[in-house]
Amino acid sequence: MFRYIVRRLVTMIPMMIVISILCFTVIKLQPGDFTTQFLTDPRITPEQVAQIRERLGLDQSPVVQYLTWMKGILTRGDFGYSFAYKRPVQELIWERMGWTVAVAGATIVFSWVVAIPIGIYSATHKYSFFDYLLTFIGFIGVSIPSFFLALILMYLSLSLGGTAVGGLFSQQYIGAPWSWAKVVDLVRHLWIPVIAIGLSGTAGLIRLMRGSLLDVLGTQYITTAKGKGLSQRVVIYKHAVRNAINPLISVFGMQLPELISGTIIASIVLNLPTMGPFFYDALINSDQYLVMTFLMLSALLMLIGNLLADILLALTDPRIRYE
Amino acid sequence: MKRLVLAVLLVFVIAFSAVAQQAVVSPALFEEIGKPGGELVLGLATAPRSFNFYGIIDNAAYTILYNIIEPLVEENPATGEIIPGLAKSWEVDESGTEVTFHLRDVKWSDGTPFTADDVVFTMEHVVMNPNAEGNSVDRFTLGGKPVLWEKIDEKTVKAILPSPYGAFTRVLTHALMVPKHKYEPFIAALNDGVEPGTINQAWTTDTPLSDIVGTGPFVLSEYVVDQKVTLQRNPNYWKVDPEGNQLPYLDKLVYLVVQDEQVMLAQFRSGEIHRVTITGQNYPGLKREELDGANYRVLAGSPVSPVPSPPHLAFNWDVEDEELRAIFRNDKFRQAMEHTIDRHRIIEDVYNTLAIIPGVPVLPANAAFYNPAIEDIMREYDLEKAKQLLDEVGIKDRGDGVRVLPSGRPFELTLTTAVNVQPHNDIAVILESEWQELGITTHLQLVSSTLVGQRRTAGEYQAIIEAFGNQPDPQLRKAIWQPGRSLYYWHRSTMDENQEPVLANMEDWELRVFDLFELGEVEMDPVQRKAYYDEWQAIYAERVPVIFIAKGMELQAVSNDIGNIFLRPNGQIVGTNYTAFVK
Repeated sequence: MFRYIVRRLVTMIPMMIVISILCFTVIKLQPGDFTTQFLTDPRITPEQVAQIRERLGLDQSPVVQYLTWMKGILTRGDFGYSFAYKRPVQELIWERMGWTVAVAGATIVFSWVVAIPIGIYSATHKYSFFDYLLTFIGFIGVSIPSFFLALILMYLSLSLGGTAVGGLFSQQYIGAPWSWAKVVDLVRHLWIPVIAIGLSGTAGLIRLMRGSLLDVLGTQYITTAKGKGLSQRVVIYKHAVRNAINPLISVFGMQLPELISGTIIASIVLNLPTMGPFFYDALINSDQYLVMTFLMLSALLMLIGNLLADILLALTDPRIRYE
Repeated sequence: MKRLVLAVLLVFVIAFSAVAQQAVVSPALFEEIGKPGGELVLGLATAPRSFNFYGIIDNAAYTILYNIIEPLVEENPATGEIIPGLAKSWEVDESGTEVTFHLRDVKWSDGTPFTADDVVFTMEHVVMNPNAEGNSVDRFTLGGKPVLWEKIDEKTVKAILPSPYGAFTRVLTHALMVPKHKYEPFIAALNDGVEPGTINQAWTTDTPLSDIVGTGPFVLSEYVVDQKVTLQRNPNYWKVDPEGNQLPYLDKLVYLVVQDEQVMLAQFRSGEIHRVTITGQNYPGLKREELDGANYRVLAGSPVSPVPSPPHLAFNWDVEDEELRAIFRNDKFRQAMEHTIDRHRIIEDVYNTLAIIPGVPVLPANAAFYNPAIEDIMREYDLEKAKQLLDEVGIKDRGDGVRVLPSGRPFELTLTTAVNVQPHNDIAVILESEWQELGITTHLQLVSSTLVGQRRTAGEYQAIIEAFGNQPDPQLRKAIWQPGRSLYYWHRSTMDENQEPVLANMEDWELRVFDLFELGEVEMDPVQRKAYYDEWQAIYAERVPVIFIAKGMELQAVSNDIGNIFLRPNGQIVGTNYTAFVK
């Protein structure tokens, strides 16, 4: 197992390099660069734009730009400099990491805590009224885009006299020291993003859990277990669910990058101080090293998430062994 | 006796200097005298990317910094006149090339006195520093020579101009003074081992806020990344209201970062934000709520500021197709197209009636430069006239309602505009139907505004709807309106690859416009300057190099808890952060 993990970690290195080359190529395929926006500004002459390009190194060939950036990472741990913010990109990303992980984490926890019990209930009460109802709600969750759901929830909240529209706090609590009132205020705001963003994931998980559990419930060993006279509880939770959970663990690994990338449009609509809108702005502005670092981080989390999922699978399912 | 005289004199001197430090704000900014205290909460569409006014191009940063740092001379926010700022007075010598500024006795918010050194430093090493991304080198360079700055004594500075410069005080209103003692370490010319680009890294968003000092009404007190910027009143601010009360009234000024326009509006409605700029689409709904007793007022002000930029229609004079090129360059063709624009319908349908007929492009409210004569030259909507003019140009109906070019090819136009700018989009659709009426097939090319900018710069379009703002002084926008400049995009061949004007490629009237801008630049007499720019506007109205369509009004909604944000009798919205107060 240990050797397996080490091998997986080592293969991540060439993988990350290939991903970085791909990302950089795609960024460079975009027409224009960071300085393009200056061309329409009457205060800035074209010569000045040329000077800025030269200073930012944008006049060099893409290959040189890429290698310079890579060299910075490998030799100094320097992921480059944001053209828009005039600051090192890792600082900027770090500043926004806290809320991003907190909101995404809350959303993911919400979707799992809601989805697993409902999925189990639906599967064990197949074709009952509540199965149909919950499945129906699940389909709605899959089909409504989260930003739209966010708008509806905000509208409902506002028209019912609520004042918590967008953001994570009321104005006076932003930046204030933590207090009980601040926590209450956070909860009053947080439910909208958690439901809006979480519901689409929830619905998918319900479907997955239900389907997977139904498959397992139809197998012969479950019939055997029931035939032995085991109680319904033991049959379902000890035998069926443990086996049905495997596909969900793989999904869990895929969710790790969502911790930072999440849903961009929903975050803009909900006015969340997370990485999504920040990344979106960087993309629009062609702030290339910021975009690159962000994409690399997202890719790394994806790889780590997959590895974690595989390890978890090995832990939960004794039939899976990596040698 | 002698002692007594001395003492009296001393008292006088002290009293006088105390008065001299303060300045009474123009009564035009007040609806009523305010009371101190409270906070004003405003929205900001993006978080500031830096607090360095000269290091970036970022409207959020500008919005915040205008509360913190100040220019030598200011523009009266109500009347647009040039008034004293950090310079309490100035005089121009007879040649018109030496301007002496007498500085006000004020301190930076950290207690350091503001002196001539700060002014010379700011102008030489920051404003006119070509390595600063938000520099204004161009505005302080005349005929290739820079304006020179000289310290006379601690409180006196002299600017030496290469030639007389009519817009000099106007451009100075945009040159905000930064403290030498905080900015000096970032300047390559004054420090060994500092790179030229380091100037852009001054006052970034991670700078300790106590280092960001200014002379303005507010100082920064807190920045929560991507969420909120809080400013506190500067207790030693030098402005007082007409009754002598210290300004600003507010204790705190808060900017909330709200990216989405609809969310911003929702927060305004819920009372979280006190003042927002709104669009024509939101106006009727909010106005109805106001009449139904909501705790806010909706103001529709006559346009005075450069934004929202008025859209115009332009044709590419350098388009590849030679036949089209000749037609686009023909005055009669463009005049015919002006007849196809129903400005009144556009104002009604696109802007919900909240727009005016624009100038060309000086705003009618701009008394210093507007030429009313253009109103008689601008062409009314008249499709018959348009048809007649098109016939004269040789674009004739071939009998089945389709207009053909002299070569016999059907006349088809591609109209490019930004899909994400609603008014431009709507105007394009209206024009398409008008042109259909004339027998011209239009292909709408609706793309993102970034792409429109790129197409424009590259000359890859036939007809385009674009918008540029109207600055109060035409001189500040010569890059757009003077032939041969970088943004005179509809006729790019007036500029060569070295960005120099090519007089040989200009039409006669373009040469005249070129000369008028050159003359206006070096003229100090306001009357003569107006005469030059009047002539420019008349030429533009007659020859229609671009066709101006409409100018949106300034629409705002303000909480009734906030005072001194109001419509002046002349229909213009007034309200500054240092005169606003909580009722």
